[in-house]
Amino acid sequence: MNNEAIVSFKNVCMYFGGVKAIDDISFDVDEGQVFGIIGPNGAGKTTIFNVLSGIYKPTSGDIYFHNRRINNLPPNYITGNGITRTFQNIRLFENQTVLDNLKIAHYSHIHYGIMDVIFTSNRFKKEEERIEEESLAILDFMNLTAYAEQKAGALPYGAQRRIEIARALSCKPEVLLLDEPAAGMNPVEIDELNQLILKIRNQFNLTVLVVEHQMRLVMEICNEILVTNFGRKLAIGKPNDIKNNPEVLEAYLGKVKSNE
Amino acid sequence: MITKRKNHLLGDVIPVIIIAAILIVLKEFKLISTSRLLILQYIGLYSIFVLGINMVNGYLGIFSLAHAGFMASGAYAAAISSKYFFKESWMFPLILLFGGLIAMLIGLIMSIPSFKAKGDYLAIITLGFSLIVQSFLQNWRFVGASKGINNVAKFTNIYWVYGCLLFAIIIVRKFINSKYGRSLKAIREDQVASELVSVDVKRAKTIAFAVSAFLIGISGALLVHLLGYTSPSAYGYTNIVDGLVMVYLGGMGSITGSIVGATLWQILIQTLKNLGTWRWVVGGGLLCVIMIFLTNGIFGNKELSDAIHAIRKYFSRSKTNKTISEETTK
Ligand SMILES: Nc1ncnc2c1ncn2[C@@H]1O[C@H](COP(=O)(O)OP(=O)(O)OP(=O)(O)O)[C@@H](O)[C@H]1O
Ligand SMILES: [Mg+2]
Repeated sequence: MNNEAIVSFKNVCMYFGGVKAIDDISFDVDEGQVFGIIGPNGAGKTTIFNVLSGIYKPTSGDIYFHNRRINNLPPNYITGNGITRTFQNIRLFENQTVLDNLKIAHYSHIHYGIMDVIFTSNRFKKEEERIEEESLAILDFMNLTAYAEQKAGALPYGAQRRIEIARALSCKPEVLLLDEPAAGMNPVEIDELNQLILKIRNQFNLTVLVVEHQMRLVMEICNEILVTNFGRKLAIGKPNDIKNNPEVLEAYLGKVKSNE
Repeated sequence: MITKRKNHLLGDVIPVIIIAAILIVLKEFKLISTSRLLILQYIGLYSIFVLGINMVNGYLGIFSLAHAGFMASGAYAAAISSKYFFKESWMFPLILLFGGLIAMLIGLIMSIPSFKAKGDYLAIITLGFSLIVQSFLQNWRFVGASKGINNVAKFTNIYWVYGCLLFAIIIVRKFINSKYGRSLKAIREDQVASELVSVDVKRAKTIAFAVSAFLIGISGALLVHLLGYTSPSAYGYTNIVDGLVMVYLGGMGSITGSIVGATLWQILIQTLKNLGTWRWVVGGGLLCVIMIFLTNGIFGNKELSDAIHAIRKYFSRSKTNKTISEETTK
């Protein structure tokens, strides 16, 4: 195991009954990287995020964050301490305003207690003001200010995708997990998203893990790519190596090969 | 474009103050019959009751039936305390607090099943809790078993009731506008997503149940000192259904709705008092009608203060329009 890695999987397995959603997966992600995870449908990509964010406890193996084992920590703790994610199927709080969506995500970084609430202490007022300002700043950064007071569920798909990222950023993560952020986007939009991901990474000093089907995204912005198939690690390496890896081509383009 | 909501308290507090002023005039100048005055007190104390229910069933979105148990705990604890310890009328605040705190303690325990159980199962667990409290009181000699407690000092008056209601509104308002309140609404919409944006779900649920039970306990304490007696039969199915009707009628997740629901239902059942058993039919029937035609209740997730806010925004001629057109799907 590489000690400088910010996130490490070590022989992680996640079985659902007989289904081996991920099977003996190991990899290291270095700080500041954009790390891509690709693979066909059902390859276990989302499951990697689910075990990393604490929704599921892995069947076996260990997950490290800053060299600390995190398999058994509850999701809200993991999220509050540096790993946040977005969802493949957008999961915003649809009936809350966009601003409230972000404020909710500030939870673990708000420093007041019940007594501060009951007596509306100065600390309460200061913290509430602070998170309002911070939320507005994030909305501004993500070009979402116009939506601040609108219900999240009523907004266009593209905006919702960005709100999810904005909400994740409100948790003040060190590691941001993006699950198919480019789903349903055209090439122009994907190029914009690429720029946005890099901009976010630089602005907030993040390490980004991104699950994607869109090669255009993955190949352009990822420093390293993990390829999975049927829950197993197929390959890991730089985009160019992955592009030319025969096994990967087989898994992805198997039909093409046999046609030729 | 974001108008700050500095005066959000006003929307709910001002109407209460106006109502209080009217009440004082009505009572002190004897402009109202005793029976009407009694109805007003029912309205006030059941508003507190419904606010309490709304914390869990409305804001947190858990279908709980524990309110009868919480009310019984508060009422009995308060009645015992005023019979044996706090016998003077100036001690009434202590009595109310005691009733509220005992109920809150029980509420804290009742929040534990909500960590794991969901939906129907939790509804059954909370129903079981209410029925256990009732049958426990029916069998406990010290509190008069099924005869209940009699000759409780009648400390409650209209000022206490509305004073407590004001307090309850302020407390709920404060919680709802804090990180705890926001997390309740988040959990209601998507518990998993809440956890994945760092919300401490257990803590939020504990707080919701505690505040809920505390308020319901106070309403129970007010009730027993209004009537001068109480018995286990008051905290059975009727109480459970009444609570649900009021909360669904007025609207889930709304302070204004809680008060409106309590007011309408109390006026209705007090005027239809001679209905006897038919009262059940009206109650159950109304619940059906609400569920079919008024799914969100009258004020579901809305507040009077929202209207005030909207009006104020309108008059401050906001410059909102320019920003809207900016977005296409990016
Ligand atoms: N909670 C669960 N219970 C049972 N099986 C599951 C569960 N979650 C995932 N699986 C199974 O694990 C496998 C991997 O699923 P996963 O969602 O991780 O795939 P994916 O790579 O994200 O696919 P996609 O590209 O379609 O999003 C699938 O066969 C799926 O049915
Ligand atoms: Mg997936």
